[in-house]
Amino acid sequence: MITTKGLLIGYKQQMLVAVDDLQLTPGVYILIGKNGSGKSTFLKTLTGSLPVVSGTISLYDHSIHALSESERPKKIAFVQTQFPVVDFLQVKEYIALGRSPHTAFFGKLNQHDKEMVEQALNSLGIQQLAERFTNELSDGERQMVAIARTFAQGTDIIALDEPTAFLDYQNKTEIVKKLMELGKSHDKFIILSSHDIDQSVASGADFLVVDSRERRLSHLPAGTFKENLISRAFSDY
Amino acid sequence: MSLSSRNRIFLLALVILLPVVAIWHLFSGQIDIDGGTFLSALTDFQDSELKHVVVWELRIPRMLTALIAGAGLSVAGLLMQTLFNNPLAGPYVLGINSGASLFVALAIMAGIPVLSSDLGIVANALIGAFLFGLIIVFFSSVVRQQISLLLIGLMLGSFTGAIVSLLQSASGLEELKLFTLWTLGSLQAVTLDQLPIFFAAFSITILGAFLVVKPLNLLVLGASEASLLGVRIKQVRLVIILITAVITGVVTAFCGPIAFVGLAVPNLIRIVMKTQSHGSLILGSLLTGAIFLLVCDILIQSVESEFALPINALTSIIGAPFVILLVLRRLR
Repeated sequence: MITTKGLLIGYKQQMLVAVDDLQLTPGVYILIGKNGSGKSTFLKTLTGSLPVVSGTISLYDHSIHALSESERPKKIAFVQTQFPVVDFLQVKEYIALGRSPHTAFFGKLNQHDKEMVEQALNSLGIQQLAERFTNELSDGERQMVAIARTFAQGTDIIALDEPTAFLDYQNKTEIVKKLMELGKSHDKFIILSSHDIDQSVASGADFLVVDSRERRLSHLPAGTFKENLISRAFSDY
Repeated sequence: MSLSSRNRIFLLALVILLPVVAIWHLFSGQIDIDGGTFLSALTDFQDSELKHVVVWELRIPRMLTALIAGAGLSVAGLLMQTLFNNPLAGPYVLGINSGASLFVALAIMAGIPVLSSDLGIVANALIGAFLFGLIIVFFSSVVRQQISLLLIGLMLGSFTGAIVSLLQSASGLEELKLFTLWTLGSLQAVTLDQLPIFFAAFSITILGAFLVVKPLNLLVLGASEASLLGVRIKQVRLVIILITAVITGVVTAFCGPIAFVGLAVPNLIRIVMKTQSHGSLILGSLLTGAIFLLVCDILIQSVESEFALPINALTSIIGAPFVILLVLRRLR
């Protein structure tokens, strides 16, 4: 369970967005809002890289912001919009880096780590990419690989900042479908931001909507009508 | 064959090649020394024997100097390139060598005996290198962006370069010659009893590099990804800069600024080994750097009867075209 209490988020103590007191169960949540409405701010706060202005976010009753720098990446994974472009980095090497919060001082993989990498490849159905170099992947493949990395990381929370931003229609659908599938079969909180309202509605995921006029983030269930989402997220249009 | 087993064979080949090149280096030079004489110099040293003295006073220190300088600069270059996420970074980009140059110039040409000791030039270069190393460490704790640090390093270089030019235009012929000779670089300046300093700096470099292998592997993803995966960026940055200052400072102090080794070797190794696993990259750079500088020095010694070819010139002649190739390859 992810719970928030009296949460205010923003930069440099400047209040941007008030968050409803949330009680989220494992599953997929799509974060919707205008540009600059605070989607990224919410994701950064949720992943602990930005401090809260006030209030708390807890994961199973433990405050996310009380986690130490070395504990946090064991619980929370974050996929940034841009996949890091690196020469000579094989997909399996990249996914194995997801194990680094768990490995010892020299980062050597033990049997369990290797199994986690293998499982991550299997969960995403991308075994055939294992030996490829990451800079030779298509945009769609990159997102799959980045998600596989978070699975190897074995975290409860996976936050993704606009994972479908650079994808064509088919890849977009495929990524969202995959995330829904994974959300159902694993006990994880998958939270992604998106611009694509149509696709988000079709996905069957729950919504986190930032109302830009009220500066408030609320949880809306799956099946919420598109008009309702649009009127909240884009109310001042 | 998988990449990792191919790389193991590559590393093994380097491990075998290094002693071969090192021994070849020991037997190159103006004075012919046969194997028997060499062995007796090692086992039964006579200080009346000229050849025995040559072995101990010239050959062995010069070989170890080349080996350590090549290996150390290459590892430092590798760390810098990963830290700054930039293949054109190297041990000299942070202005550490500029510090050494400035202090040597001040001592020789401005007549300011910053530190007068038996070591002379070496002591001044060391102080300069460490002082500039400290400046960079200070800036690294202030600035957030890696690129700003690179720019500060470059500016420090231009700034000291200008001061050195001023000093040069105002100084006499003798001083000018002495300074120029130092900048040309040489591997024969280290004496047997100075070698422990070299070994110490080298040990710090190799030990330190292996201590940060895990953060290095994550840093290739960029600083923000690395910190999301638990890397303490500022700490790691400090360790890497300290290592670089120590090895670059010591090598520059004794041998002058040896260009391009630290830039070219790690790039070559990444291209050959096709991995970002820094345990392998450190080993590869270390061995290749040592072999590269030993071979350069063997070349130098083979033409030494005709004219003295400075090591810095040779490494630049080989290194600069390689870096251009590298840039072209990336643009394609």
